[in-house]
Amino acid sequence: MKNINNITLLIMLFITVLSTNALASAGGGAHLEHAGNNILDQESLQKGAVLFATRCMSCHSVKYMRYNRVAKDLGWTDEEVLKKLGKTRNKVVDNMMGSMNDTTAMAAFGTKIPDLSLMARLKGSDYIYSFLRGFELDMKKGKWDNKYLPGTAMPNIMMKPNDPKALEQYDKDTRDLVNFLEYVGEPAKMKRYDLGWKVMLFLFIMFIFAYLLKREYWKDIKH
Amino acid sequence: MSNNAQKPTGLLGWLDRRYPLIETWNYHIAEYYAPKNFNFWYFFGSLALLVFVNQIVTGIWLTMSYKPDAAEAFNSVEYIMRDVEWGWLIRYLHSTGASAFFIVVYLHMLRGLLYGSYKEPRELVWIIGMLLFFALMAEAFMGYLLPWGQMSFWGAQVIISLFGAIPVIGPDLAIWVKGDYVISDATLNRFFALHVIALPLVLVILVFMHIVALHQVGSNNPDGIEIKKYKNEKGLPIDGIPFHPYYSVKDSMGVVVFLFFFAFVVFYMPEGGGYFLEAPNFEPANPLKTPDHIAPVWYFTPFYAILRAIPDKLLGVAGMGGAIAILFAMPWLDRCKVKSIRYRGISYKLLLTMFVISFVVLGWLGTQPATPELTKLARIFTATYFLFFIILPFTSVMERTKPVPERLT
Repeated sequence: MKNINNITLLIMLFITVLSTNALASAGGGAHLEHAGNNILDQESLQKGAVLFATRCMSCHSVKYMRYNRVAKDLGWTDEEVLKKLGKTRNKVVDNMMGSMNDTTAMAAFGTKIPDLSLMARLKGSDYIYSFLRGFELDMKKGKWDNKYLPGTAMPNIMMKPNDPKALEQYDKDTRDLVNFLEYVGEPAKMKRYDLGWKVMLFLFIMFIFAYLLKREYWKDIKH
Repeated sequence: MSNNAQKPTGLLGWLDRRYPLIETWNYHIAEYYAPKNFNFWYFFGSLALLVFVNQIVTGIWLTMSYKPDAAEAFNSVEYIMRDVEWGWLIRYLHSTGASAFFIVVYLHMLRGLLYGSYKEPRELVWIIGMLLFFALMAEAFMGYLLPWGQMSFWGAQVIISLFGAIPVIGPDLAIWVKGDYVISDATLNRFFALHVIALPLVLVILVFMHIVALHQVGSNNPDGIEIKKYKNEKGLPIDGIPFHPYYSVKDSMGVVVFLFFFAFVVFYMPEGGGYFLEAPNFEPANPLKTPDHIAPVWYFTPFYAILRAIPDKLLGVAGMGGAIAILFAMPWLDRCKVKSIRYRGISYKLLLTMFVISFVVLGWLGTQPATPELTKLARIFTATYFLFFIILPFTSVMERTKPVPERLT
């Protein structure tokens, strides 16, 4: 038993070292806040989806996602998903496109608006979490800037509340939003997590038989 | 071939009279005598074959949905990841398989260095193996362009530009490889053709030859002695055992253990900590935007580090190519009569340790940005990498070896 614990610890250590290394290259200078989101928390994903649809989709798209896929993965029916996300004018098979086209975006922000389908895989969940919360008022220019992406054209959507009581909700909202974006980055992730240990358990049992078979055959080989 | 075996009848007999079915099976499997003392290191050959089959099978299914078109390639990979049933699993098996291939092949090659498996009479087994390694690198390089992400594009850009450093023909050669003045749709199309047809065919032929050559001379073993020296009254090696069933059951056990770790990566860390799938590759290729830091996939980084360590571009390319090419000469650079590291002198043990450390450190350096300190480090380890091959011919003739046993221990 102690051996198994050591192995698990070693594997976890190995993953931590590798992922710290990988994330170190993703963040731009400033130290990232830890998102601490949980992709297996369906309620959080549902809230994140609603937040994304209401706050982000007036500009941003997640073009590789369809509404019915979100419904299937997040435990909604096809009718529910359009209603919850306020997209009743869309069909359930539509891709989740933002409301703004490139021309309008150029006029309003001077830049095209990035699609967010793979942002979590590109930059990491911690980056998105930090970015959403990283807006600071630039007193000289009299406008918002972001310490993780200086000069960003994005407005401060998830405004940090001054009321300490509202802070808890703010933390939760930003976390749910990040959680949804992590899911969008790889919708198969939950299935992957769920299937993996079953496959590994099967292989472990198979190992016992493979080992016993080997031992049986090798009994007569003298060393 | 046992003479007292009964001639088969029925369908098997019909087939065997027209095709050397039983003879082939016996020669390569049932009556191929392998040394009985194979250890852990001897799993990696069969594992490489397993991963190869995995790459072929998952590759076939990926091509069913992938589009080799600069405008559609990235989208089609996301289509596989999201809309194709089990597409994500097929893709992760393939992408993880690529890294797993190099892990098992590097360990397989290290085994050769440990036990002198490249030495007489197995020089050809080693050389065919090296050709396999070379073809595998080409296969992996071309495959990495196909997802058409930022790192696919810029990684290929860096490597193809190396051809341009070759005197006289270089610039034209680089254009010829790309099929265009820049990496473009034409490049993607030809890399697809080479990745799915040409190189897999080369690999299949070389794997076949690798095994045929091995079975002609027989397997080496951790003691590095020939089992064919002592035979019983039937003419069979006393210390040998038939590959099947002994090693087929033992390798099956190795396969299950390997798959256990493989499944862990596929299901719980398919990005391999940013080494197996690099984060910038989740952004479509953009010829106008160079990524901050271009690093090839981890299995190329030792050679990439050598390239960067040498200040002159042409010499850098020569150094990188030389680092691979010099391995071909191992059977002649190492002049020690004793094969296995178990009975070799301290000089080889030290040299091999230095070589392995150099290789691993260079691999790490290749993933890092080239700062002045790291470049200095890369130069030191490039020197020690090549020093292995330079010193070896001299130390190996006068090595103080231990007595080699007559029979397997």
